[in-house]
Amino acid sequence: MIEVNNLAKHYKIAKRDPGLRGAVKSLFYRKYETKEAVKGINLHIEAGEMVGYIGANGAGKSTTIKMLTGILTPTSGEVKVNGIIPYENRKQNASHIGAVFGQRTQLFWDIPVRESYELLKHIYEIPQKQYEETLAEFVEVLHLEPLLGIPVRQLSLGQKMRCELAAAFLHRPKVVYLDEPTIGLDVAVKVRIRSFIKQMNSRYGTTVLLTTHDMQDIEEICQRIIIIDDGRVIYDGSIQNIKSQFGDKRVIHFELENSDDFTLPRELANVAQVQPREEEDLHKISITFSSRDLSGAELISIMMNHYTIADLTIADPKIETIVEEIYGKGMTKEVQNEEVH
Amino acid sequence: MRKYIEFARVQMQVHAAYSAWFWANTFSVLLRMLVIYFFWKAVYSNRSEIEGMSFDGMITYIIIAMFLQMFVSGVGRELAHTIKDGNVAIELMRPYHLITRLIAMDIGDKVIYFIRGALPLGILAFVFMDVTMPSTWQSGILFLLSALMGIWIGTFFDLLIAILAFWTINLWGLEVMKEAVVSFFSGALVPLILFPDWFQTISLFLPFQAMVYVPVAIYTGILTGTEAWLALGSQLIWAILLFGLLRVLWSVAMKKVTIFGG
Repeated sequence: MIEVNNLAKHYKIAKRDPGLRGAVKSLFYRKYETKEAVKGINLHIEAGEMVGYIGANGAGKSTTIKMLTGILTPTSGEVKVNGIIPYENRKQNASHIGAVFGQRTQLFWDIPVRESYELLKHIYEIPQKQYEETLAEFVEVLHLEPLLGIPVRQLSLGQKMRCELAAAFLHRPKVVYLDEPTIGLDVAVKVRIRSFIKQMNSRYGTTVLLTTHDMQDIEEICQRIIIIDDGRVIYDGSIQNIKSQFGDKRVIHFELENSDDFTLPRELANVAQVQPREEEDLHKISITFSSRDLSGAELISIMMNHYTIADLTIADPKIETIVEEIYGKGMTKEVQNEEVH
Repeated sequence: MRKYIEFARVQMQVHAAYSAWFWANTFSVLLRMLVIYFFWKAVYSNRSEIEGMSFDGMITYIIIAMFLQMFVSGVGRELAHTIKDGNVAIELMRPYHLITRLIAMDIGDKVIYFIRGALPLGILAFVFMDVTMPSTWQSGILFLLSALMGIWIGTFFDLLIAILAFWTINLWGLEVMKEAVVSFFSGALVPLILFPDWFQTISLFLPFQAMVYVPVAIYTGILTGTEAWLALGSQLIWAILLFGLLRVLWSVAMKKVTIFGG
């Protein structure tokens, strides 16, 4: 469905010296510097896949999505979405895709939600019967009924995002790009939105490319993630795989009867670390270790020899911690780049 | 095509919803009409004609020109806004043409304004302010034709200025200047024949007089016969020229957006 080969995008940015002198100088000649936002990436996404596209801010996610939607022309490389080259046939591509940008609204500001949908029906030339069916379904799943008569500008963020999502899927697009669809939303709305996306995918086989900073979104929606950093793909594979590849870290939380003078047992000194304690929870001790060095059972038995344990929980390796680690490595690169400019 | 008609329809609905704005606007137009009427009454108190124009002719020109001027500006502000806040990128993701969509919405706006605002106020002016009908029915028809072209020219000129938002940081100054230039050179304030000859010659080569002066001058009989047809011809040329220019500038702008990212 989405075929991307060696895709690259370089921006030319006018460089300006600081202050008034710089501003005047820039009127007469400008120095340009090239910023490589995307440096040759390959993506192959099959129809019906739900893929998480993640990366730190400025890694090149939005640039990629813009090229996939046809808004940006790539500097080099190939893009094909549903067999169409998006930047050459923008309008044709537009009728097969849907998109939600968490930061911008696509509904029509002044008119009630229902009218917005009516308008979308005409814009995307949706047959009346299909339109009615789809809308009825969305109204039920996203609980839109009370919102339909309200102008978009009067909706709260959560309400707006639900309406926005319905708008993106209304014409049953083959591909949907979701750029931070859950940003700033409360847990209940997030849950509803996630289940809606999953439902759309299973019913219509919609291909979904999701960018988000909320790892919960990724874990619940996507089977596959692509991590991009500094314009390059640094990971492409299943979530399971990344967990086993990077996620040998384990955390066990202990609740001790008496933890005031807690020190790590000698046997564990080289293989495990105590996480900094939160103040309000003095009885809880969290110990991180690598499953390569010792098993969880061993650690627990050592702890039990030294302390009286009231309770314990073993945490599943969170994708969040893994990605954080990967970003962390990328971050240092970004700092170096900035010094060069 | 259907989608653009829908856009026009929705815009009519939106327009109809802003009734406070509508009444304020109607009131201010009414006030302006009164000021104009008494001003020109005073000017004509000691003479019967100016540059060959009687009081009736003058007040007819001024009032008709005032109404027409309300229709000759377009949706430039809307377009400039879309460009400035970056939403133009999202618009590109939709299966329609942004400019056509804006024009469709503008037509919706103008139709509603004509029905709710200009028509009743115009009738008022006919009944109470000595505004006369066109001299012949032919000039009436020519006026309608010419007025439509004037609106077209005004709309496209407005959009042309707005597209400059892709290159300039602040468009506001340019828009204010445009407003001033248009109301002065288009003949919306006074008939151009009141200005010196050299000024008239200059404005003959500018697109502005085609917006208001030409149609209203045809209506009031300042331009008749061959002169009227020539003026219509120059309107047609401007209409085509501005349309072409807008298309070229738009495609240049689109290249810029899609290559430089806005």
